[in-house]
Amino acid sequence: MDAALAALIKLNRGVALLAGVALVLCALFILADIALRRVGSSFGGTDEISGYVMAGLTAWGFGFALTERAHVRIDLLRDRLVSPLRAALDLLAMVALAYVALVMAVRGWPVLAKTIANNARANTVLETPLVIPQSVWFAGLVWFALMAAAMVLIGALFLLRGEIKKTEAAIGPPGEAP
Amino acid sequence: MIGALTAGLLILLSLSIPVGVVLFLLGFGVSEFFSAFPLMRGLGQMAWSAMNSATLIAVPLFVLLGEILVRGGVATRTYAALDKWVSWLPGGLVHANIGTATMFSATSGSSVATAATVATVAMPQAEKLGYDPRLFSGAIAAGGTLGIMIPPSINLIVYGFLTETSIPQLFVAGLLPGLILAFAFSLVTVLLCRWRPSLGGERRVYSLRQMLRALADLLPVILLFVVVVGAIYAGIATPTEAAAVGVAAAFLIAAAFGGVSLTMMRQSLLGTMRITAMIMLVVTGAAFLNFTLAAAGLGRDLSAFMDGLGLTPLSTLLVIVAIYIVLGFFIETLSLMVVTIPIMVPIVVGLGYDKVWFGIVMIVLVEMALITPPVGLNLYVVQGARGSGTLHEVMVGAIPFVLVMLFMVAALIAVPGLALFLPSLL
Repeated sequence: MDAALAALIKLNRGVALLAGVALVLCALFILADIALRRVGSSFGGTDEISGYVMAGLTAWGFGFALTERAHVRIDLLRDRLVSPLRAALDLLAMVALAYVALVMAVRGWPVLAKTIANNARANTVLETPLVIPQSVWFAGLVWFALMAAAMVLIGALFLLRGEIKKTEAAIGPPGEAP
Repeated sequence: MIGALTAGLLILLSLSIPVGVVLFLLGFGVSEFFSAFPLMRGLGQMAWSAMNSATLIAVPLFVLLGEILVRGGVATRTYAALDKWVSWLPGGLVHANIGTATMFSATSGSSVATAATVATVAMPQAEKLGYDPRLFSGAIAAGGTLGIMIPPSINLIVYGFLTETSIPQLFVAGLLPGLILAFAFSLVTVLLCRWRPSLGGERRVYSLRQMLRALADLLPVILLFVVVVGAIYAGIATPTEAAAVGVAAAFLIAAAFGGVSLTMMRQSLLGTMRITAMIMLVVTGAAFLNFTLAAAGLGRDLSAFMDGLGLTPLSTLLVIVAIYIVLGFFIETLSLMVVTIPIMVPIVVGLGYDKVWFGIVMIVLVEMALITPPVGLNLYVVQGARGSGTLHEVMVGAIPFVLVMLFMVAALIAVPGLALFLPSLL
């Protein structure tokens, strides 16, 4: 279980680094466009591309923020409880999150399905086939749902084994602000 | 609907369910119980359009900018340089705390990272030079909050996105109140140290040559700020473009100071992704809740509710301010802003107040939330970096600055021009 948790954390750091590199590439693209504009030219559509990058890195970032325990919670009441109750609340929070992640993925699918069915292109100069950015985005939402389910499982197993400390370490709030 | 919504919000939040998740759950509830249409079907499309946003990508870019400056060691140099410039004032280094926090939060828009950095650099000096630990640490916590007011501010981008307000206008509007707050913080420090000299430590005067040499460390950061914010104000660049330029400039500055390495870049990118994903889950949740509330006719409900209260616009506004102060004790900055926007902004706009102006008032109020116990993130961050003393000391030290912020709110209500004068020039 510990190994599985460590592997998930490491995997998501890899994902986040890739997304971070995409952000840097997007920034370079914007810079190049600004430079081109000075000489009276332009790629056109930097806004459109930035939007797609944002959608992709956000969707894939959700899972990373989850394994890093970075999704913000109000732990005022939680901190005043005894340890086993705290861990129970952590599990409840994780179940609620997994539910929302699942609903998002399920409701995200029709968006992509419709795009595929109509072979839809963006209503812009680039006429981007929307299937590309939306697939990345949808895959990110599915990844988030999978990660959330895995974290519920890990948290629940730790709790069932009575390893309260480990439950809190896996799905509780971060000990120190980063 | 308003009662059920408020109760649901408070209960779910206190169960420590993640804030973004709470907003989605409330949206599901509104769709289920208060809407004649199946709103859930719109969730996918709604999430796609909220996340596919060329405006919001300014958020990770500004976060990255700040991460690079802070992790690249630029903050440390700024602190040392400001020390040369302000340590002759009563209160000495406390002004360097406020100044560094202001400058860094101004360039990065992240309050917590700034407070953490300044606290790490500054704290060892406090003991050595005999400062009162309360005022010294309180000033760091308070100075760190300014980042969400002085542009480029991530919170203002989020406010603009959710309320469909012009982000450049919000940025211009925040400049004057932000600077006034920073000066007021310094002024309060001077007054306190005049009244009780023991609060301040040893005052140090540096030679003009040392001061000029320190400028070399200060100017690049100031220049960065001027370029980024100036380009937005002048209308040359969108906030997103200005942020991209800022990232490149921050990278160059950090590189020039020898602070760039592979590890540092890796950490900056990971930090950026962590903060961005956290913010975006909350923002997407709020956008969905907004959508369901509008479809379920919140506007009608609210005006009926407000008519029932029979208050004048001003007293309603004061009630809202009081609500923010109370909620601010328990809920953190961004969450506080985002969970209240769907209800508060329609009320305030309905009363005839300006959306840009209220954005700035709200920012001061949520800044205060960062340093009011029991939940005041900056207090904990500063205490965490101190490694000695008690949290109580930081809380006491922050009190004078909380009072300054309350005055600022009153001033903004009495003189809306403080926020609206500069945008009117655009």
